Amino acid sequence: MSAPAIVSTAPVARAGAAAKKTGVKHRRAILTFVLPFGTLFALFYLVPIGYAIQRSLLVIERDGTFGQAREVFGGLSQYVLVFQNGPFWRSIARVLTFGAVQVPVMLGLALLFALLLDSPLLRGKKFFRLAFFVPYAVPGVIAAIMWGFLYSPKLSPFSAVTENVDFMSADLVLWSIANVVTWVYVGYNMLIIYSSLLAIPTELYEAARLDGAGQVRIAWSIKIPLIMPAIVLTAIFSIIGTLQLLAEPQVFRSFSSAVTSTFTPNLTVYSTSSIPNFNLAAAFSVVLALATFVLSFTFLKFTARKEAK
Amino acid sequence: MRMNKRAATVALLSVAAVGLAGCSSADSSPDSSGDAAAAVGDCAPSTGKVDLTFTSWIPGMEDVVAVWNEQNPDIQVAVQTGPNGNGGTYQNFFNQLKAGNAPDLGQIEYDALPNFRVQDGLMDLAACDGVLDAQEDFVDWTWGQVNFGEADAVYAIPQDSGPMAMFYRADLFEANNIAIPTTWAEYATAAEQVRATGGYITNFSQSDINQFAGLVWQAGGTWFQNDGTDWTVDLTSAESTKVADYWQDLVDRDLVSVNPPWTTEWDNAYNTGSDWTWNSAAWGANSIMSGAPDTAGKWAVAPSPQWEAGDAASGNWGGSSTAVFKGSEHPYEAAQFALWLNTSDESLTLLNKSANLYPAAKSGLELPVLKEGVAFYGDQPIYDVFAEASGQVSADFVWGPTMTQTYNDVSDGFKAAVSGQGTLSEALATGQDSTIAALEAQAIPVKK
Repeated sequence: MSAPAIVSTAPVARAGAAAKKTGVKHRRAILTFVLPFGTLFALFYLVPIGYAIQRSLLVIERDGTFGQAREVFGGLSQYVLVFQNGPFWRSIARVLTFGAVQVPVMLGLALLFALLLDSPLLRGKKFFRLAFFVPYAVPGVIAAIMWGFLYSPKLSPFSAVTENVDFMSADLVLWSIANVVTWVYVGYNMLIIYSSLLAIPTELYEAARLDGAGQVRIAWSIKIPLIMPAIVLTAIFSIIGTLQLLAEPQVFRSFSSAVTSTFTPNLTVYSTSSIPNFNLAAAFSVVLALATFVLSFTFLKFTARKEAK
Repeated sequence: MRMNKRAATVALLSVAAVGLAGCSSADSSPDSSGDAAAAVGDCAPSTGKVDLTFTSWIPGMEDVVAVWNEQNPDIQVAVQTGPNGNGGTYQNFFNQLKAGNAPDLGQIEYDALPNFRVQDGLMDLAACDGVLDAQEDFVDWTWGQVNFGEADAVYAIPQDSGPMAMFYRADLFEANNIAIPTTWAEYATAAEQVRATGGYITNFSQSDINQFAGLVWQAGGTWFQNDGTDWTVDLTSAESTKVADYWQDLVDRDLVSVNPPWTTEWDNAYNTGSDWTWNSAAWGANSIMSGAPDTAGKWAVAPSPQWEAGDAASGNWGGSSTAVFKGSEHPYEAAQFALWLNTSDESLTLLNKSANLYPAAKSGLELPVLKEGVAFYGDQPIYDVFAEASGQVSADFVWGPTMTQTYNDVSDGFKAAVSGQGTLSEALATGQDSTIAALEAQAIPVKK
């Protein structure tokens, strides 16, 4: 274990003062515990991001068609292409539309189910908790294939409906996908919210009941405000997930005439990297990551300010 | 976490989920850098036992390789199977090449070879024992696909070809007293008659752009030219436009179904007799058998409809090669395996039985198995039709260096067109522009 040793000797001089101030007496132990996380974080998070950024700044040069390709520094030229790429920005607009409808619906359902599970009125809680969560255990690709069959015009068990309503058409396919995503992730979000509900001290409910509050009032005035952080968390996960939609549209692409190779931002990245044009794909990814970052933090700021009020 | 899990499942499963298409394939083994001028590298045998890896999507490839492994204890090949090339395997190859851990051998269709060569993924096998001499063993145009017209280079060993013909439901045509079309004009007339019975003469594929290319190929068009330095992209030639307008008309008049291909819905349309013909390649015989098992014995094969009565032209769809990837430490052994795989009678017979591959090797064309009647096709010796078609395939069709992108972009346009937005010709025009842009992004010289 040479790494911790090195880390520990250098700061030792200042450690005394720091320890007194902050009360950190176990610097070495802390570093030892942080090291595995730090290493993995750097290896699988920071390094890949840095690599993507580096790739995105390169362009290809070659002599003749089959000449050896050289990657040379190209400044921001890949980013210029990204910003000129109509299909990419249309795909961002598409997933934002998707998210604006799907995320509130999904989280609304998740909240409703969590509150029902938490209410004393419901029987068979264990069964329902598991039943709602089971779709999440189905891999996204399998779920999409399954729903693809359910939507299928002639082969669906509900062909009386699907022969007349084309769920794979340009008008509907986005919402057909939204339905799949909702089906898969409602249970997952419900569990996060539900576990947060379980952490609320029951004294609060007793006090509320003494004040004459019914179950609905308790849910509205006590439970929901107290679990707001959990709801915000699931909302952020969902926003990130929406911007990164890939599996469902990728599967639906083979069933539906309306899903193109640039249907979602991540599908655009995938198609670009399979040209293969890794540099442009890297630039797309970096821009997508920034957009996700900005959107998530705007949402956080927005909700934080609201709570402060 | 939601994201991680999703990403992982995508990586692992989407490929498997989507990749049911049935193109034939081959693996090729190039060695040495892409330059024609590059000195032919050495291709010396390794000492001791050699283990090779080979990625392919051909049904039954494991059994063929098992025969090789039994006969060659010192050169053991491990087969890894995946989805068809454009269904995900090519993407994996590109990623593996980038990461430096590509398999020794890979299955690559002819249309994707330039793409791999531009990415410097193929070894030039010319120096390997017996490879250059093998030229005369193969049908001429297939060799042209693997050496890019360079006399002293071989970037892959041809495996099979996909001469096109028309699969049709003999029983339905006969029962409804509809003549078997021999020209595209008759085909359109027959389409009306078939539609009057409630069926569709065929399904227009919105995503098999290589099939559409085969139809353009038959019409005498080509999409790419390379004059040695510069590329010309020509998706909008008179021939391409003629083919596009022909199918657009059938789509507009609802005379062809437009199910997304290779889906259960598509299989079902054939299995239930709703779709009557399929303009496909020799390997397509396998796709119908597996996709429409209830129609056994009712199919037959006729030569492709012609643009002018009396013409005798055929297109090609698919066909692949066995390539050796850059980075392989055993190009000699890999080349020996690739030669055996694609020229030996026992290998070619097995590949024909399991995947209906139509060999690129001349000797393979004389195999007894290719002379036999096929029960699924009413005991018709169907390979006679493909043999004739094979001789009618023009050797001039050239593939571009970014075919994955061209296919994707044209397919996006075709999808819109069959949904009523835009036309097939417009899709080709869009594909033309985006292909030129993609070539420029790769710094590949292109004439505008």
